[in-house]
Amino acid sequence: MESVIEVQNLKRTYISRKGLWHREKRVVQAVDGISFEVRRGEIFGLLGQNGAGKTTTIKMLITLLAPTAGTCKVLGCDSFGQEKQIRKRINFIFGGEMGVYRRLSARDNLRYFSNLYLIPRKERDARIEKILKLVDLADRADDLAETYSKGMIQRLQIARGLINDPEILFMDEPTVGLDPLGARMLRDIIRRLKEQGKTVLLTTHNLAEVEELCDRLIIINKGKVVARGTPAEIRGDMESLEDAYVKLIEGVSA
Amino acid sequence: MNLAVLCSTMRVQMKQSFARPMFRFCLIANPILNTILLYEMYRNAGEENFMAYVVLGAGLMGLWGCICFSSAGDINRERYSGTLALIFATPASFPGIILGKIIGNTLISLLTLGISLLTAVVLYQVPLTLESPLYFLLALLAAVLSFVVISSMVACLLTLSRKTELYMNCIEIPINLLCGFAFPVSVLPGAVQGISRALSPTYAVELLRMSVWGVNDPAAFWNKLGILLGLTALYALLSALLYRRIDRRVRIAATLEVA
Repeated sequence: MESVIEVQNLKRTYISRKGLWHREKRVVQAVDGISFEVRRGEIFGLLGQNGAGKTTTIKMLITLLAPTAGTCKVLGCDSFGQEKQIRKRINFIFGGEMGVYRRLSARDNLRYFSNLYLIPRKERDARIEKILKLVDLADRADDLAETYSKGMIQRLQIARGLINDPEILFMDEPTVGLDPLGARMLRDIIRRLKEQGKTVLLTTHNLAEVEELCDRLIIINKGKVVARGTPAEIRGDMESLEDAYVKLIEGVSA
Repeated sequence: MNLAVLCSTMRVQMKQSFARPMFRFCLIANPILNTILLYEMYRNAGEENFMAYVVLGAGLMGLWGCICFSSAGDINRERYSGTLALIFATPASFPGIILGKIIGNTLISLLTLGISLLTAVVLYQVPLTLESPLYFLLALLAAVLSFVVISSMVACLLTLSRKTELYMNCIEIPINLLCGFAFPVSVLPGAVQGISRALSPTYAVELLRMSVWGVNDPAAFWNKLGILLGLTALYALLSALLYRRIDRRVRIAATLEVA
């Protein structure tokens, strides 16, 4: 099956400087030579502790960050240098309450982003209506986002991520802040996307979700890949994926 | 550059800006207070037409304040609300989005001129005359263009740094002083006037004042307008070059977001 994401020996270093006169240089190696590929139509999981390098990896893939070294290709194009070819065909959802214009309504947020994704006007309104129903926001579509609950804002984020009907959807802890019904709705959306042949790259701390949804996954720790395979392969003889995950992380950190 | 992106960004920007109390303060209260301050300064200064320094000065100071705290401040607001990264990663051109924001802000900020005029009329009933309205309109258009371009350059530089709030505070008052919004540039020390002459708003203010007093020497007006447009074109070119460089630089330096 065709690879839509190819990552080879990818590295990303953050450099910051502190102090006014004697500027102290601080270097953090967030991603340290990871490699993986994702096939078209797969749900691929990226697991790891906080600070393991998951979000940095996603940000390099979605053209927001430049890699320090290595290959980072999405749909056959370099994420740094050929970003114009990539951006129309992908989208991303970050967990939490950021990433929406709170002084606009859900409909206005989606209208604006559909303009930024260059969606033709004649398709726009019907698509927005469909997505609003999908994320269960149709009833409150014209209220300002600042009046929404945490879960509703997260659902608006999901709606924004679907606005351009992306071939690949990147999700960074998308269930953060969602109640059980909202989380189930998101899992249903992810399954539906897979049925439509879309690719999803997902990071989450919910290991049951990974077992339920992901075809394959990698586990990263301190910027390096420590395990890869299907959930069953990684679980091996352990009782659950969570047990296998804890053993792996503790083993590497010891 | 996509027209739909430009127009929708302008609309969104106007809605968002007007919803912010700080912007409404800059837009409404600032020109009123500045008009009072400048009127008191010029009341016994021998100036008979209060349009030139009081109304224009207060209006332009308000306009520049709105631009600083909106066009520049918006970069920071978007960074902290997580939307800067979102708009940056869309297929639309990022400079086009920023331009839409700036045009939206500048158009709404033009209200400061009207508010300042209204304040002078209502509070003081002082003589306000506009001798060359057509020249004034032309000068105003050129001034708006120059403000849009200069703010675009500033906004572009601010995407590079997370210390946006510090910088936007640092540029507000110096531009008011250097470009002669409230007094003629000729009262500044010679070396400082050199800096003023490199800033396009200086010429915009002088053109507006010339048309308020009446353009007796059209050649001088056109000459100044030529300098203003030339400087504006130079800033626009610099802006375009900066955006090209910054598009790569922000992704290397990771300044689109806060951790």
